[in-house]
Amino acid sequence: MKKKWMTLTATVLTTALLAGCSGNSGGSAGGNAGEGGTNSGAAGSGESGGAPVELTFWGDWGGEGQAQFETMAGAFNASQDDIRVKYVLQQDMITKFLTSATSGGTPDILFWDRWRTSLYAPKNVLHPIDELMARDGVERDHYFEESLKELTYNDQLYGLPLTVDARALFYNKTMLEEAGLELPTTWEELATAAKALTKRSGDRLEVAGFSMGDPGLFSMYLQQAGGQMLTADGKTNFNNAQGLEVLSFWDRLMNEDKVYKIGFEQGLGEGTDAFVTGKLAMHYTGPWMLSTYKKYGSELDFGIVPPPAGPGGDLASVMGGFGLVIPEGSQHKEEAWTFIKWWLANKDNAMLWAETSLNLPGYKPALEDPFFADDPLWQPFLETLEFAKIRPQHPGYSVMEVDGLIPNLELFLQRKQSAEETLAKAQTQGDKLLKDNEVIE
Amino acid sequence: MSAINKLERHQARTAYLFIAPTMLLFVIFMVIPVGMALYLSFTNYDVLSRMDWVGLDNYRRLWDDSLLWLTFRNVLLYAVLFVPLNIVVSFGLGLLVNKAWRGIKLLRTLYYLPTLTSAVAAATVWLWLLHPEFGLVNGVLSGLGITGPAWVAETETAMVAIVLVTLWQSVGSNMIIYLAGLQGVPGHLYESARLDGANRWDMIRYITWPQLRPTTFLVSTMAIIGALQLFDQAFVLTQGGPANTTKTPVYLIYQQGFNQLQMGYASAQAFVLAMAILIFTIVNMRITRAEESVI
Repeated sequence: MKKKWMTLTATVLTTALLAGCSGNSGGSAGGNAGEGGTNSGAAGSGESGGAPVELTFWGDWGGEGQAQFETMAGAFNASQDDIRVKYVLQQDMITKFLTSATSGGTPDILFWDRWRTSLYAPKNVLHPIDELMARDGVERDHYFEESLKELTYNDQLYGLPLTVDARALFYNKTMLEEAGLELPTTWEELATAAKALTKRSGDRLEVAGFSMGDPGLFSMYLQQAGGQMLTADGKTNFNNAQGLEVLSFWDRLMNEDKVYKIGFEQGLGEGTDAFVTGKLAMHYTGPWMLSTYKKYGSELDFGIVPPPAGPGGDLASVMGGFGLVIPEGSQHKEEAWTFIKWWLANKDNAMLWAETSLNLPGYKPALEDPFFADDPLWQPFLETLEFAKIRPQHPGYSVMEVDGLIPNLELFLQRKQSAEETLAKAQTQGDKLLKDNEVIE
Repeated sequence: MSAINKLERHQARTAYLFIAPTMLLFVIFMVIPVGMALYLSFTNYDVLSRMDWVGLDNYRRLWDDSLLWLTFRNVLLYAVLFVPLNIVVSFGLGLLVNKAWRGIKLLRTLYYLPTLTSAVAAATVWLWLLHPEFGLVNGVLSGLGITGPAWVAETETAMVAIVLVTLWQSVGSNMIIYLAGLQGVPGHLYESARLDGANRWDMIRYITWPQLRPTTFLVSTMAIIGALQLFDQAFVLTQGGPANTTKTPVYLIYQQGFNQLQMGYASAQAFVLAMAILIFTIVNMRITRAEESVI
């Protein structure tokens, strides 16, 4: 029934968008974008003469995020006279994009969670930017290869990275010092520290030494154990020795050393976050939590280290982040590219964005800025990003994880099925989900 | 004769005119989309690039979709727990607040209040109350010497937690419906029963309950439909976990259609859900209408 309402919403939206956008194609194609593109304000130098081209930029960040995007659009608009960018907040952006992509009412620039590329690029709704990059001499070396790979499908690149992130180990400095512990660099040291930091009174868990609340981190542990989530031909690849190694490590933390309790962090909001309130000593999270934790100042003395290495010395973390892409339906691809290039291929502007939003920018030269390189809280992330890998590019990957793998891992963590059974069932269910959701030519 | 026919025709025309706006809206917003969804369920529609006829492929795929059937089992379990409890509790509350005591309006308001809260906000607060170590519920339990479970995180209790929260939120409005029904039960029935020596329980069992059968039918039907379409509370409380025990068909349909862009297959899943709702409603109709009303 819900489905029907959605179809209905889609129909109504399509109609509204068709009506709203029919008058929008009058603007001229604008002058050729300036070459080089490393100066701010390199856009077509007044060739078009007439009214500026209006660009629409969609994103689903509201509140502070909206203000950050508006800062960037404002700075770009002030830097030249030919293009006007307007940020439009779309709470349900992907659904709106779906309806607009078929009706011609697409925006010109889209804020894009990169992992979606493998699902959307095969449908030809995104515009490849390889030629534009080659023409304007934007160098691939200025971006993490992994982040570009995540924006690539069939050897075509569909956008540039806006942010990069990866998980690293956050620890409570005070607790670690009180217990006289060194920073963990291996699984073994992590387990020892976790056990030493855990405080219990009877059955009650007072302080969890290390968070086991997110079984979705399996892919990171598997790579630390030397494994890979998928085979080259798109099948699950964790029902093996490496997978067992991860599960026996989890079993040790969870059931032998009892450093955590199921559901311990569930329902704790920002103000009562277990790490902030000193009820959790160590956990894996990403740079997006930095500004929250910094707010607590001296109350929360914390540090960050890259994820400890697995038994074979393998380092791993999962890279994610956002990019900017140009929808195929845009009427002003050239101008949209000018804006993206101004923002994501220019150190000053990438830094403006980084300092406004406190995100790690996708543009590497900006990461070399002392703002990041000399900050002890940013530095571990820069180290982690050097070896972090993106999620496998399969349109069914996230479904495989969420519906096939994680439910079985949860049963394992609650001691309801053995490690062998967990991996075998996750493999069968996961392979089926991958196959059901693969790209259909 | 012809004059009467003419009058009838005139009346019929006026009647059609009166229902036209509603029917028009119903056709545009319900019939056409449902028809479209039915058509889509026979295609490989992906919203963006294709919409080819694939015959019964989507329905064939349903047979092997163990996850879909699991979500159906989940909402069936939910319905079995939720629907009877919902009726019993809201009927009981209705009886309680039907008295003309002082301050009863305040009590009615208090019982109704949870219904006015947004489902997501309420679920968020409940998450906190149900926290295994610092939550109020387990705090009270440990005061009684019981170690409470990690309510929303354990496979055995997650569904119970969802039943509790949704029950808390829905009994208020059903209480109002029962209250309206109770006030419509004629007083002379109770009076004559009392003369015949009936006690309070007999009156509830043989007068109130049968008199309220249409109300019960309404409440139970709405509860069944709501149960099979469970989504928001379950999503906020458990995100379908742990181990898929609280994943619901609506969640799966949304994911398949909007996240995986398999709108054709999602439409087929939606039709199975619609059929399930239809079947349960018919069964419910049979049960609730089995006995005729007293008068």
